[in-house]
Amino acid sequence: MKWDFNSVFANTDALLVGAVGTLHIFAICLVAGLSLGLVVGLGRYARAPWFRWPATAFVEFFRNTPVLVQILWFYFALPMLLPFEISPLAAAALGISLNSAAFSAEIYRGGIQSIEPGQWDGARALGMGWGQAMRRIILPQALKRMTPALTNRAIEIFKMSTLASAVAYVELLQQGKLIASLNYNPIEAYTTVAVIFFVFLWPMVQFTYVLERRLRRSE
Amino acid sequence: MSYHWDFTPVLANAPLLAEGLVNTLKVTGVSLGCGLAIGLALALMRLSRHRLASWPAGFVIEVFRTTPPLVQLFWFFFALPLIVGIEMTPFLAACVTFSIQSAAFFAEVFRAGIQSIERGQWDGARAIGMTHGQALQRIILPQAVKRMIPAFMERAIELMKTTTLVATIAYADLLFAANELSQKSFRPLETYTVVALIYFFVIFLASQLARLLELRLARSGESTVH
Repeated sequence: MKWDFNSVFANTDALLVGAVGTLHIFAICLVAGLSLGLVVGLGRYARAPWFRWPATAFVEFFRNTPVLVQILWFYFALPMLLPFEISPLAAAALGISLNSAAFSAEIYRGGIQSIEPGQWDGARALGMGWGQAMRRIILPQALKRMTPALTNRAIEIFKMSTLASAVAYVELLQQGKLIASLNYNPIEAYTTVAVIFFVFLWPMVQFTYVLERRLRRSE
Repeated sequence: MSYHWDFTPVLANAPLLAEGLVNTLKVTGVSLGCGLAIGLALALMRLSRHRLASWPAGFVIEVFRTTPPLVQLFWFFFALPLIVGIEMTPFLAACVTFSIQSAAFFAEVFRAGIQSIERGQWDGARAIGMTHGQALQRIILPQAVKRMIPAFMERAIELMKTTTLVATIAYADLLFAANELSQKSFRPLETYTVVALIYFFVIFLASQLARLLELRLARSGESTVH
C-alpha cells in the first residue's frame, strides 16, 4: 500500500469549494442557533406558563432526537406540507440550528440562574424593570460564565455541519466523497478531510480549555 | 394546502422499524461496552508518568474528540479496509468508530473521576501495603466510578443519537429503515415523523432515568464530575 496524496492535491479547488460550504453553513447555524437559543432560554426562565411550556417542549424534543433525523425530516418530510421544495442547505441549516438552539437554551438558562438573586434585587432597587435588569445587569455577568459552554457548542456545530452531506449539500466531507469516488483514493481523500477538520477545530478546542481555566481561576 | 395523512403503510411495516431499532440498540450496546473498556485504558495511560504511554493516549483522545464523527466513520469504512486489507462491514465499521470515539470521551470522564479522589486515599492504600494497581482497583475506582455515573449516562445518550450516522453507510438501523420505508411507501412525512417520535421516546426515557440517578446521587451527598 503506497500513499499518494497527489490525486488529492490536484483537487484542491474542490476542497476549497467544500471548505467555503462548511464555513457558510457553520456561520448560519452559529448565528441562528445561538440567538434562537437565547430566546428559548429566556422562555424557559419566564414565569408565564404560555411562554415556559412551549419553550420546554421545544428544548426536550430537539435535545432528545438525533440531529440527522431532524435534517432528514426537514428535507424529505416537511416539503409534503409546503407548496415549495426545500434545498439541502435549508434542510441541514434548519436541523442543526434548531438542535443547537435547544442545547444553547439550557446553557443560557443555567447561566442566568447562576446569578445571585441579590443582583435582581439591586437592579429593582435602582428602579429597573425586568427587561432592563436582564439586559444591563444579569446577562452581561451570565454571558461571561457561559462563554466556555458556548464555544463548546460552536465546536459541536462545526462538527455537525458534516451531516449536511447526507442531503448532498456541498461541504468538505461531501467533496472528500466526490474526490474519493473519482480518483479511487479513499485513504488519501478521507485522511485529508479529517486532517483539515482537525486543523480547523484543534485551536478552537484549545481556546475553550484556556477559557475554562481562566474562568475557574477568576470565580 | 391540506395534506391527507395516512399512517397505514408505516404501521404495516412496523416489523421493519422494530428490526431497525434492535440494530440501533445493538450498535449502541457494543460501542458502549467497548468504549468503556478502551476509555478506562486510555485514561490510565494518559495519567501514567511514562511519556510513551501518556502521549499516544493523549493523541488518540484529542483526535477523536476534535474531528467530526461522520468523518471518522467514513475513514474507518472506506479507508481503513484498504490499509489493513480486511473486509469491512457497515456494522464492524460503526462499532469500531463509535467505540474509539466514545472511549475518547469516556477517558476524560475517567480521568476527571480518578483525579477527583483525595490524595489521602492513595496514601492510605499505600500505608496498608497495597500496590498502585491494587489501590486503583480496590480503593480509587470504586469511589471514582460513582461520581462519574451522570457523565457516563449523558455520554451513552449522545452515543445513541450518534449511531444514526450508520444509516449513511447502509447499516440497517432505525433511520436506515425509515429511508427504505419512505421510498417504498411514498410517505416520507408519516415515516420520518413516526421514526423521530420513536427516537424521542427512547432517548427521552433514558434522559429521565439519567436525571433521576443524578438527583439521587446529589441527595446522598455524592459529588459528581463532568
